[in-house]
Amino acid sequence: MNRSLDDIRCIADRAAHTTPADAAEAVVVSRYSALTRFAGNRIHQNVAEDDAQLSIRAVLGSRTGVASTNKLDDESIVRCAGAAAEAARHAPHDSDFPGLPQPRQLSIPSRTPLLLDAYGPSERAEAAQEILDQSAARGLVAAGTVAVNDTLTAVSNTHGVDAATHTDDLRATVLSMNGPHASGWSSYYGRDARGFLPAQLGSHAATIAERSEGAIELTPGTYTVVLAPEAVADLIDFLGYLGFGAKAFAEGSSFLIDAQGSRVVDPRISIYDDALSPATVGISFDYEGQPRRRTPLIEGGIAIGPVTDSYFAALLGRDNTGHALPAPNAYGPLPLNLEMAAGDTSTDDMIASVERGVYVTRFHYVNVEDPMRVVLTGMTRDGTFMIENGRLAEPVRNLRFTQSVLSAFSSVGAIGSQRQLYGSEGSAVLAPSLLLERWAFTGQTG
Amino acid sequence: MKEHIAAALDAATLAGATYADARVVETRHERLSVRTGHVEGIESGESLGIGIRTIADGAWGFAATSDLTPGGIVNTARQAVALARAAATTASTPVSLSPVGCFTDTWTGPCSIDPFAVSLDDKLALLLLTDDVLRVEEKVRVTSASMGFIAVRKVFGSTEGSLIEQSYVESQAGIAAFAIGDGEMLPRSYPNNLGGQAVQGGWEAILALDLPGNAPRVAEQAAALLTAAPCPAGEKTIIIDGSQMALQVHESIGHPTELDRVLGDEAAFAGTSWVGIPDLGTLRYGSEHVTVTSDATIPGSIGSFGYDDEGVPGQRDHLITSGTLTGFQTSRESALEIGRTSNGCMRADGWQRQPLIRMTTVSLEPGDWTFDDLVADTEDGIYVETNNSWSIDDKRLNFQFGCEIGWEIKNGTLGRMIKSPNYTGVTPRFWGSCDAVCNRDHWQVWGIPNCGKGEPMQVAHVAHGAAPARFRNVQVGVTR
Repeated sequence: MNRSLDDIRCIADRAAHTTPADAAEAVVVSRYSALTRFAGNRIHQNVAEDDAQLSIRAVLGSRTGVASTNKLDDESIVRCAGAAAEAARHAPHDSDFPGLPQPRQLSIPSRTPLLLDAYGPSERAEAAQEILDQSAARGLVAAGTVAVNDTLTAVSNTHGVDAATHTDDLRATVLSMNGPHASGWSSYYGRDARGFLPAQLGSHAATIAERSEGAIELTPGTYTVVLAPEAVADLIDFLGYLGFGAKAFAEGSSFLIDAQGSRVVDPRISIYDDALSPATVGISFDYEGQPRRRTPLIEGGIAIGPVTDSYFAALLGRDNTGHALPAPNAYGPLPLNLEMAAGDTSTDDMIASVERGVYVTRFHYVNVEDPMRVVLTGMTRDGTFMIENGRLAEPVRNLRFTQSVLSAFSSVGAIGSQRQLYGSEGSAVLAPSLLLERWAFTGQTG
Repeated sequence: MKEHIAAALDAATLAGATYADARVVETRHERLSVRTGHVEGIESGESLGIGIRTIADGAWGFAATSDLTPGGIVNTARQAVALARAAATTASTPVSLSPVGCFTDTWTGPCSIDPFAVSLDDKLALLLLTDDVLRVEEKVRVTSASMGFIAVRKVFGSTEGSLIEQSYVESQAGIAAFAIGDGEMLPRSYPNNLGGQAVQGGWEAILALDLPGNAPRVAEQAAALLTAAPCPAGEKTIIIDGSQMALQVHESIGHPTELDRVLGDEAAFAGTSWVGIPDLGTLRYGSEHVTVTSDATIPGSIGSFGYDDEGVPGQRDHLITSGTLTGFQTSRESALEIGRTSNGCMRADGWQRQPLIRMTTVSLEPGDWTFDDLVADTEDGIYVETNNSWSIDDKRLNFQFGCEIGWEIKNGTLGRMIKSPNYTGVTPRFWGSCDAVCNRDHWQVWGIPNCGKGEPMQVAHVAHGAAPARFRNVQVGVTR
C-alpha cells in the first residue's frame, strides 16, 4: 500500500470541504489485503488487492445524497462531491435528519502494528505449509487460508470531525478432511501475531478429523449441547444483526422492543459491544467519526437497549453509541465488536458434567427462520460428537438445528472461562464455550 | 483500457510468467431506496482497476490494484508473479489449462432505455408512489421499495492473444411489506425477496415490473398473513413456485455441480459436494422430470455474457439430463479433470478478485403441465411462494427453506392461506420425488445477484430459469 494515514486524512478533509452542498462528510477507506488459500494439501490461490474508496455524504438542509469513487485525483473528488450534492438536491426533506454530527473526543487505543512485512507471500506460504503438513503427515487432506488485512480509515466532515486510524488483522483457518465424511476445524483471528501458531492450528484440526471417523446417526430431538466458542460466536453474531441494532428496534422487529429492562435470557449471560477491547480488531470510531464505547446490550440477562448512530439516537431520544455504518445502508447502526462475558467453567468441565449430549465444534450456513424470536436454522460441521457419561464419545453425522437463540440462552448450564475471537473483514465476536440444557436438532445430513 | 492490458501482460511475461491474463473493469452504479415513507438512500458510485492473473513456476498468482499508472501496473504484475512463485513452493502438479480459441471480439448486453439517463426525480416518484400504496394496510408497519443499476465495461486480454471487450447494464427493483403483530414480523415481497428481480436490461425492465400495480396485493397478503394458519407439520406433497424453485436449483444443483467444489478447492469455506467425478454419466440426481442446463446465452439474464473471465465463449451445456448427472460447471483448469474443455463458467467479482467457477443461468427445464392442472391434480398438499430463508449443509445435501406464504391444497383446489411455510429434505431424495414441472408459459429467469463464494468473498450475479414444480413426501412445518 503506497498511501499513508496522513494521505487519506488529507483526502477525506479535502473531499468534505469540496462540497457545493451546505455540509458534507467524507469517508476514505484504503485497504491492502493478501490471502493465501490452500486445498488438497497445496496452495491453489494466492491473491492480493490494493484499493482505496472515497464516499461523500452531502447535506442540503435535511436532504442527503451519497456518491463514491475509487479515483482519488482532484478532478474525480470534485466530481464525486458534485454527484453527492446532486443526489441530495433530488431527495425529499427528512424531518428526522438531525444534521451531521459534531466532533467528539476520540479515544484511539495504542496498538502495535502487526508488521505486515512479516506476512509477505513467502511467509504466508511457509505458514500454510506448516499447517497442511500436520494433515499430510497423518494421511489427511487440508484446506484453509492465511490472510492479512491492512486498513487505513479516515472520516472528516464540515463541522470539524477529523478521525483517522490504522488497523490490521490476521486470519488463518484450517479444515482437515479424513475421507468424505470426517473432518476437523481450527481457526485464528486477531492482531497479535504471537497467538498465531500454524503447526498447532493444523494439528488441532487434524486431531478432530481423526477423531471424527466413523460418525453415527442420531435421532433428531432436543439434547443438552456443549457449543465450542466458534459455534457460540455465530449465535451472538445473529443476535446482534437481528436484535441489537436501532433500526430493527425503531421498526418494531427487534426482540428488544418490549423487553428493555426485562430478563430475556439466563442471568449469567452478559453481552457487550466493545471496539476498544484489546482483544478485538475493531476501529475505535464509527463511519460518522463518532467514538465507539463499551456498550452493554444484555447485562445479567436483562435487555439494555440497541446500539445507535446519530440518526437513530436523535429519532429514539437515546445517546449516540457510535455504531454508524457507511451511509447509506439498509441495516442502520450495528454492533461490530460483540463479546459475551466469560464464565468460570472450562470446556472440559462442561463436558464432564453432561451425562448424555452433543458437542458442536462449529455451525455452517446459519440463517433466520423467525427474526423476532431469533429462531435460526443451520448445520453442524467439522467435529460433532456425542457426550456420554461426561466424556466425548462417538462422532455424529452433521445435524440440522432449528432453535430460538433466546430460548437456548435461557437454559444455560455453564459459560466457558476462556474466550476466543472470531470474525472477518472488520466484524468480530469474542465468545466463550457454552453448555445449554436444551437445543433442538431437527434433521441430519443424508 | 487496452494499453493497460498490454502493459500488464508484458510486465508479467518479463517477470517470468508462463501465462498471464488481465482484466480492466470499470463499473458505475446507482441505488435508490425508500422505506416506510422515507427516502433511505440515493447513492451513486464508480470503480476502476485491473486484476492480473499469472502462472509462474506452475502455480497461480493474482494481484489487483486501482493504481493504473504505468508503475502501478508493472508493480502489480510483478506481485502476481511473486505470489505464483510462493504458491509453487507447495504445489505438487503444475497447473495445466484446457485449450481455448484466441478471440478478438466485443459483446454488449441488451438495454433499450439507459437507466442512468432517467432522472432521479422519475425514479424516486415511482418508488414513493409504490411505497404509499404499500402503506394503506394498517397492519403493514414497515415497507420497502428499491431499485439499483449497474453499468459494467471490461476488457480481457491474455498472453495467448485474446482481446475481448464487453459491456452490459443490469437493473433491479423490488418491493416488500412487513406486517408486525403478536411477536411476529411477516414479509411479503414482489417480484422476489432481497431486492426483487434483477435482469440485464435498462429502465424498460423496471417499468415492466409494474411495482405500483402489484403493491396492493403485496400489502393485502402481508396483512392477511398475521391471521393465517400455521404451516402443518409432517410429510406433504408440495408445489413450489418459480422464484423459490430458482433458489432450490441454485443451492442443491447449481453449487454441487461446480467442479471446483467437487475437487475440494472450496472445502474450507462453502464446502465440497455430495457429487464426485466418477458419478458423471451414471448418478441418478433426480427423477426423469429433472433436466438442468447451464446457459450463458439467454438474452436479458444476469448470468449471460459473451465470454467468461478466462476468455471462454459463453455457452449452453447440460448438467442433468432426464434425472442423470451429465455435466459440471467448469474452468479451463478443472475441465481437464473430466477430459473436457471449459464450458465457460469462470467469473470474478470485479477487477479486485480472481475468477472462480460461478453459475451462469442454471435452469430447471420446463415440463408439460399448466399450473391450474397441476393444482387440480393434487389431492392433498401445500403450495408455497417466495423464499424467506435458506440453509444447506457443506456437501449440499440437507437443506431447509422458509417461504413467505403458502396455501393449502385440498382435492385439487387452493384453500386457506398458510404463514411462514418451511420445508426440509436431502438433495437426491428430494429431486427424486419431483413428479411434475410446469410448462414454458410458467417458466421465467430469476436473477440472483447475491451469490457468495470464495475467499476473499466474491458476490456473483447469477440466474435460474424455473417454473412451478411438484414434489411428493416432503417434510414441511419444521418447528411450526
